[in-house]
Amino acid sequence: MSENSMVTVGRRTNAVAGYRFQKKLGAAIKLAVLSILLVLFLAPFLMVLINSFKPDAEIILDPLRLPTSLRFQNFTVAFEKMHFLNALYNSFIITVASVVFIALFSSMCAYALVRRKSRGHTAIYLAMVASMIVPFQAIMIPLLKIYGSIGMLNSAWSLVYMYIGFGTSFAVFMYHGFIKGISLELEEAATIDGCSTIEVFFLIVLPLLQSTTMTVIILDVLWIWNDFLLPSLVLLAPLKRTLPLSTFYFYGTYTVNYGLLLAGLVMTIIPVVVFYLFSQRYIISGITAGSIK
Amino acid sequence: MRTDKRRWEQTKNALLFMGPSLLIFSTVMVLPFLFGILLSFTDWNGLSATFSFIGFGNYSEVFHDKVFWSSFVLTLKYVLCTVTLTNIIAFSLAYLLTGNLRGRNFLKAGFFTPNLIGGIILGFVWQFVFSRVLTTMGKSLGWSLFATSWLSDPDKAFWAMVIVTVWQYSGYMMVIYIAGLMSIPKELIEAAEIEGASSFTRVRKIVLPFLVPSIIVCVFLTVQRGFMVYDINLALTSGGPFRSTALISMNVYQTAFLSQRYGPGQAEAFFLFLVVAAISLTQVYLGKKQEIEL
Amino acid sequence: MKRIGVLMLSLALVLSAGLAYADVHITLLNTKGEIQAQLEDAAKAFSAENPGITLDIQPTPTGSSPFQILSSVYASGNAPTLYMGDTNDMIQFADKFSDLKNEKWIKDSSDNFEQVTTASGSIVGFPFTVEGYGMIYNKAVLAKAGVDPSKIHTTKDLEAAFKKVQATGAGALVIAPMDWSLGAHFLGIAYSLTAKDQAGLNKLVADFKAGKVDVSKNKAFSGLLDTFDVMKKYNVRKADALAVTYDECPALIGPDKVGFYFQGNWTWPQISGFATDQKGFGFIPVPISNNPADFGNSGIPVGVTKYIALDKKQNSAAQQAAGKKFLEWLVYSKTGQDAVVNKCNIIPAFNNVALEPKDPLAISIRQYVAKKQTLFWINMPAPDHWSKVGASMQKYLVDKIDRAGLYAEIQDYWKNVK
Repeated sequence: MSENSMVTVGRRTNAVAGYRFQKKLGAAIKLAVLSILLVLFLAPFLMVLINSFKPDAEIILDPLRLPTSLRFQNFTVAFEKMHFLNALYNSFIITVASVVFIALFSSMCAYALVRRKSRGHTAIYLAMVASMIVPFQAIMIPLLKIYGSIGMLNSAWSLVYMYIGFGTSFAVFMYHGFIKGISLELEEAATIDGCSTIEVFFLIVLPLLQSTTMTVIILDVLWIWNDFLLPSLVLLAPLKRTLPLSTFYFYGTYTVNYGLLLAGLVMTIIPVVVFYLFSQRYIISGITAGSIK
Repeated sequence: MRTDKRRWEQTKNALLFMGPSLLIFSTVMVLPFLFGILLSFTDWNGLSATFSFIGFGNYSEVFHDKVFWSSFVLTLKYVLCTVTLTNIIAFSLAYLLTGNLRGRNFLKAGFFTPNLIGGIILGFVWQFVFSRVLTTMGKSLGWSLFATSWLSDPDKAFWAMVIVTVWQYSGYMMVIYIAGLMSIPKELIEAAEIEGASSFTRVRKIVLPFLVPSIIVCVFLTVQRGFMVYDINLALTSGGPFRSTALISMNVYQTAFLSQRYGPGQAEAFFLFLVVAAISLTQVYLGKKQEIEL
Repeated sequence: MKRIGVLMLSLALVLSAGLAYADVHITLLNTKGEIQAQLEDAAKAFSAENPGITLDIQPTPTGSSPFQILSSVYASGNAPTLYMGDTNDMIQFADKFSDLKNEKWIKDSSDNFEQVTTASGSIVGFPFTVEGYGMIYNKAVLAKAGVDPSKIHTTKDLEAAFKKVQATGAGALVIAPMDWSLGAHFLGIAYSLTAKDQAGLNKLVADFKAGKVDVSKNKAFSGLLDTFDVMKKYNVRKADALAVTYDECPALIGPDKVGFYFQGNWTWPQISGFATDQKGFGFIPVPISNNPADFGNSGIPVGVTKYIALDKKQNSAAQQAAGKKFLEWLVYSKTGQDAVVNKCNIIPAFNNVALEPKDPLAISIRQYVAKKQTLFWINMPAPDHWSKVGASMQKYLVDKIDRAGLYAEIQDYWKNVK
């Protein structure tokens, strides 16, 4: 009896050890496979980076070879030709303004929609949710016609206005879902204490919405910062261009100068990577939250 | 008196809270959308101040347009390929990345990187890779597959677009799948492992059922993006060679702004809307149904 | 709203000028990206010679549609003072442009080219650039092969030349496969030979739209495409004809690697960068038959490709006057002429400009103009012809469609165009 149980125990420890070993080996293989994949994944960026330091002739000769020297000439020229700082500034202003207004207006709107229930409000909410499946292309032509005819094109503020319009439905949807789950008690207590609705919202509700606000901000920043089609239709003057626009036009003008183009690409990618380094955790959790509806 | 005052207070608050959003939403989304439907029934040429109604003229023209159909079929093919591949790859990455793995967060962050960067820039990055890097590799290694630029052959250019899209979105969908995988009780998987269930069975019997909501979200997102893609198309191939890779968004853009035919362009756009709406709704419906059944 | 904007703007202007005097600020929307930097320099020189006027050159990306840009800037009230565009742009926006028929430079403009005249008889375009295209040849390669370019008058002559060049080890020719090059320029020769002038083109287009043209029976089309077949056969990049990029071709013709290249004089700066001999290039016509005497076998298309128009709707009188001053400056001032001819490498359309272009392609074009051996330059009054029919030509280039298929696609294009 006891012998038997000893054997079983022995077998079990063996099995567990084997299992552990297998698991470690598995992890090592997994890590190796994933690392190789990652290198492949990032290789295109690497190629661009390497070649951005070379003169054109060297790039055309062999794009795989490492640069013989670190020359920054491509960067300085591209920096100037694509009005880099200017475009960076435009992108920054447009993104920040749009995102702030989207978060502010949408959270207020969602709050009103949740707290004051009526048929009209439900209809508004449904219209907003439905509008989320309308592709931008379906709106593009009339949008230009309408805003063109009242002279509202070619201005960063018109673009911000449009972004608020396009961003509203998703943000309202997100806030709506969250506010629904907040209990009324705190708000009621505050009202009894004499707070106005506005005070209740800004002092009590808005702070509670922090995580949703973060999600909305992250998703909208990624969208607006990288958007191309809308700004390409709205912003025309060269000095009003955002980064993706100025990259595109820069590409159209200097098709022959690879070094310059690649340096331009590297420079447009850098701000995003910096932003990513600082807010990586928020981005990942923001996307996760944004996807779970 | 009192109720009047309360009424006023309520209206004021409603205006204050919903006014800005509603005003902007209706002027940017609703109004152009309705005006667009109207526009698709006119012969407006983009310049003249007047236009007249021509009924379904634009629509019948679009339906008789071979170029439009070939671009539509190509888009369907593109959506099918990118949705399948993106989700398979994203799921595999997510699956490999859960569990105790050293450097997990670093890897996760790495795979996510392409999503941070706009399609225009990604398109240019890959244009360089396809036309310069791969051709040089192909020539020096004697691989005929890469000897000529993929972007100059209609079929290969299509696959180039698929590759870039899958590459871009896999990281994003991976994040969503990871969240889904994290929600599966650990004991369940460990128990199955110790019971000796093969990893394939484990995935099929335990993981996938739990992941249905994530799959729905990811498929929804990839389908929608697939139909609306423009940036990558523009930066990578510009629709070439010989317009063989112009997806539907680019076709709308070209009809409207290059050929200067706004009515048919808007008709194409509206058709695109109907397709996207139909697919999205079907999918959400099917997903909800399955969720309940499980 | 707008008035406040204007007020603020003028306030800002006044302040920035230090309350001294207000500058007249004018803009030129440049649709010729390759001379952006040169034009910016010219603008500076112009401002230096004309204190009180500042000129800003706004670039547009190559490949974008000037029509769309212009529609939007007008819609948004941001019209530039001067706009550079082709004949069709001039005509489409004619009601927004000033009549220039009383300008001094009208008398001095070369009678080789038609003015852009509107239905009401006003002239809305300042002829800015004269360009031409044809078969560019490399003198050194041809000399080595024993080919005399001036003796090539027929498709057979051309094929013989290709063979001789190949025999020396160099490539015969390279075809640039861009849709605009094949659709607008190459096929443009067939349209040009059929139409002969603007009136003829209008009639031809009308006939095409009415389905009255059978392309397969048109000698110019079939002859030109016979030549194209020969070109396809000897193309050095035959194996991957569509992978050739615009910037690779100059790297072949410049350093004596191929004998011929179909393109226009605008590509000289790129060729020059690679050329072993800065003088060793010229044009020959693209032959369209085997009879040397046939029309078209001795001329190349030359025309005014860019005009400059002056806005009259959204610019002040002072701005319009400044715009006119700039146009005059381009024709009559020493610096202006120098900027156009030497800096921008443009062949001017004015008889009074005595400066000789330095590049061999421009010189070659001037010779054809002098001998009156020019063909009518086609500015297709259909905005997407270059792109759609260009795509058909690309298919034909790589044998995706045969001749009958190409004809069908051309006729289909015209049937569907509105």
